[in-house]
Amino acid sequence: MGEAAGGATSNNPLSQLEVNIESAKLTAFGGLFSAKPDPYLELIVDGQPPRKTEVIRKSTNPKWDESFTVLVTPYSKLDVKVLGSNSIRTDTLLGQASIPLYPLLEENQGKFNHLKKTIELKGEKGKAGELTLTLNGLQVNLKNYPKRAQNGPKTSVPNGTTTTSTPPAQSGGEGRSQGRLPRSSSTSSQQSNVSSRTAPTGTPAAVPPASTALNGSVPQAAGPHTPGGSAVDAPAPPGPAAPGAPNPTNAPAPDPNEPLPPGWECRKDAQGRTYYVDHNTRTTTWERPQPLPPGWERRVDNRGRVYYVDHNTRTTTWQRPNTDMVTNWHNWQEWRNNRTMESMNRRFLFPQSTQPTTENDPLGPLPDGWEKRADANGRVYFVNHKNRTTQWEDPRTQGIMQEDPLPEGWEMRYTQEGVRYFVDHNTRTTTFQDPRGGPTKGPKGAYGVPIQYERSFRWKLGQFRYLCHSNALPGHVKINISRENLFEDSFAQIMRLQPFDLRRRLYIIFKGEEGLDYGGVAREWFFHLSHDVLNPMYCLFEYASNNNYSLQINPASSVNPDHLLYFRFIGRFIAMALYHGKFIDSGFTLPFYKRMLSKKLTIKDLESIDQEFYQSLQWVKENNIEECGLELYFCADFEVLGKIEQHELKPGGADIRVTEENKEEYLNLMTQWRFTRGVEEQTKAFLEGFNEVVPLQWLQYFDERELELMLCGMQEIDVDDWERNTIYRHYQRNSKQVVWFWKFVREIDNEKRTRLLQFVTGTCRLPVGGFAELMGSNGPQRFCIEKVGKETWLPRSHTCFNRLDLPPYRSYDQLVEKLNMAIEETEGFGQE
Amino acid sequence: MAATKRLTRELEELRKSALKSFRDIVVDESNILNWHGLLVPDNPPYNKGAFRIEIAFPAEYPFKPPKVTFKTKIYHPNVDEKGQVCLPIISAENWKPATKTDQVVNSLVALINDPEPEHPLRADLAEEYTKDKKKFFKNAEEFTKKHSEKRPCD
Repeated sequence: MGEAAGGATSNNPLSQLEVNIESAKLTAFGGLFSAKPDPYLELIVDGQPPRKTEVIRKSTNPKWDESFTVLVTPYSKLDVKVLGSNSIRTDTLLGQASIPLYPLLEENQGKFNHLKKTIELKGEKGKAGELTLTLNGLQVNLKNYPKRAQNGPKTSVPNGTTTTSTPPAQSGGEGRSQGRLPRSSSTSSQQSNVSSRTAPTGTPAAVPPASTALNGSVPQAAGPHTPGGSAVDAPAPPGPAAPGAPNPTNAPAPDPNEPLPPGWECRKDAQGRTYYVDHNTRTTTWERPQPLPPGWERRVDNRGRVYYVDHNTRTTTWQRPNTDMVTNWHNWQEWRNNRTMESMNRRFLFPQSTQPTTENDPLGPLPDGWEKRADANGRVYFVNHKNRTTQWEDPRTQGIMQEDPLPEGWEMRYTQEGVRYFVDHNTRTTTFQDPRGGPTKGPKGAYGVPIQYERSFRWKLGQFRYLCHSNALPGHVKINISRENLFEDSFAQIMRLQPFDLRRRLYIIFKGEEGLDYGGVAREWFFHLSHDVLNPMYCLFEYASNNNYSLQINPASSVNPDHLLYFRFIGRFIAMALYHGKFIDSGFTLPFYKRMLSKKLTIKDLESIDQEFYQSLQWVKENNIEECGLELYFCADFEVLGKIEQHELKPGGADIRVTEENKEEYLNLMTQWRFTRGVEEQTKAFLEGFNEVVPLQWLQYFDERELELMLCGMQEIDVDDWERNTIYRHYQRNSKQVVWFWKFVREIDNEKRTRLLQFVTGTCRLPVGGFAELMGSNGPQRFCIEKVGKETWLPRSHTCFNRLDLPPYRSYDQLVEKLNMAIEETEGFGQE
Repeated sequence: MAATKRLTRELEELRKSALKSFRDIVVDESNILNWHGLLVPDNPPYNKGAFRIEIAFPAEYPFKPPKVTFKTKIYHPNVDEKGQVCLPIISAENWKPATKTDQVVNSLVALINDPEPEHPLRADLAEEYTKDKKKFFKNAEEFTKKHSEKRPCD
């Protein structure tokens, strides 16, 4: 049940009314259907977006017993529609009724006190049944409300009044079509009677609460995967897929002497090319099919779509499994079992504000009589006790900033809340982004870096929280899910709600569990769901590389017919995590965050996700390619689901040879293509879903590393553990640069340590076992400091080897300055 | 396909060079990404037979290296039971887009002729090779006679 409750504002005549939809008796559905319908109810107040009940399966006497709090005037009209949920067609109207409130108020002296009404539902051919509901909580003095003609004046919009960025323009119709899908899938799985959802044991779907999660021996299965679907012509998977690894050569090629699985045949086409016919699915593929791993079974749902059941874990998937996939999943499972809510509870963005922060404050203590405080949203402000004023600006930097003049036609202004923004009179637009951009000269901060360089994550976070806060909607949104079916339940409810409803206070209920959600339950929900949406068995995401648990969109996700809807859902979910300030357990790759920030991706960004590709491009960049017969043209191939697709990097590219003159363009195009190939639509769906809840512009303050921090939180970094597990190349443990390095690490605060870790390893997250278990792209790879270059160089990093190239600096101060610059301003560094 | 032009030329050159130790190169006309060939080592104990290998090129070739697999069983510290072999020249760290397949083949032939027990894929064989070379040679020769292909006559 997803319910959004709006609050009344004092300026309009809206009052709260609680409508409890109890039950209905449906009589006139026969003839149309052979089976009983799956009814649900829509409640519409004065033409507002509908509120919906849950779907009751196969019933003519549905009992919902769901309460909605709605905003009404005495002249409001409630419209109810009982609809039959359908998997393929649009939902069928089973009956409807209209309830003008005024006559009812007249009958009851202006007061609804648990007023139970049974009303007639009308269908196309007269009476279709009846509906019982209770009205409660509304009390008005009718003397103030003269009787009117039937159509009263239009009431004002009660919902989404404070939001400016995402107008609640989502029509109810759209919400309906989205919400229908998961239900339909459940229906189909019931009918076909094959779904593992009905498995009798009911394996726990999610990681159990922290108290039991440490017990690694309990087999934990992911929620039974019964992907929903609406497309009638959903394509069957085009053949044996190599999940998470579009490159089939990762696995040893199957022995050609091995017999084909039953129902398969090997044929040759007119050109003599070998292909394989799967008579089970009537599909063909170029790839030789591999037999299913033990314990797996292939099945067909009632819409003719093929899926695979894993009897070992009682889960299902669309994707044909192979050894890689099974190993992948086992790795994920093992890793997941090691994660507990406990580890989550140790994450934070800032230490508690009670801790004195002045110690690490590069600006030194505040002037006498001043105090630094944080408001409810964590935004820092300053109190001047002498004249009892407050301000956002730090008195220590006020007026010091010798800023460059603004460009022609620009003006700097402050919002009521003291947030600086910029007006561009040329284009009549405003932005929070300083148009002067880039690093400008300015006073030096404590580390010898211009203050502007010392990006203040706290400040940015404050801005973001402020935007969230000022765009919050009143009331709360209830999300009611069962642990056993966490993914599908969450999907159904989040997609059924209007996106702006997701900005109301969250009220998460795990079915059958007591407990009020004051934040803890929501935190748990984000934690568990973040596991499940990233479950490789859903084929939606894949690991960036073999040993990197950062996730990226799986180009083969289309084996899941509803993948785009799921991506939209995950986009909404991730936006909710940021908006409500909750963490998810595993995050995305840095290039993915960059994409969210619509930042241009560079060759260097490839390093963390595809080291081989990165090195090859780098080689092309650094070497004269005309002498070595590379035979490169402006086109590229990509294999997904056993099919090789050719892509021209520019029109006619297949015939344009890459030369020394045009290779820069080639590398550029190749890099952009490498990041988008096969994931464009999915990324779009994700971003759309995200943007519906939180406008992407709100993220513009942050860089990709900060975005990761916001989403995954920080962990306390154990410097001793770090130092113990660090190896050196061309340095000794007691080299002075190494000693300085550790001195530096001990002096900076946790946030900066996290940034340093991100700079070198590509992620802010540490393995459960700490630095000893740090992974590189080729397996375990300890943190490594290597002596490279000259003292004038900046430090560089190799994220796939967790290696820091630290030039032999001559002094501690020099090392501090260079390291600071490298971790604060990473853009453009790795390139040199 | 993007890699077709390059692979066609490489194949042509490799056939033209007519290596003694790598011959009978078969490439399915329809799929230039998949090569088969016969490896004919010179050094004992592998000079008693020949070995079928497969070279599989990825769609992203030459940005990604090819993979080499033995189709004939071989008793060798650097080739595992599945026929996978670890060749530094095509490892992720060393691969360069300019590396040609004939270099890959030559380095494979060299590795087969002279095993590198310091970087074994089969630790048991590497140990045998270092500790009791006689026994290793005897086992490897028997194994070769039993499992390998016939050597070409010329």
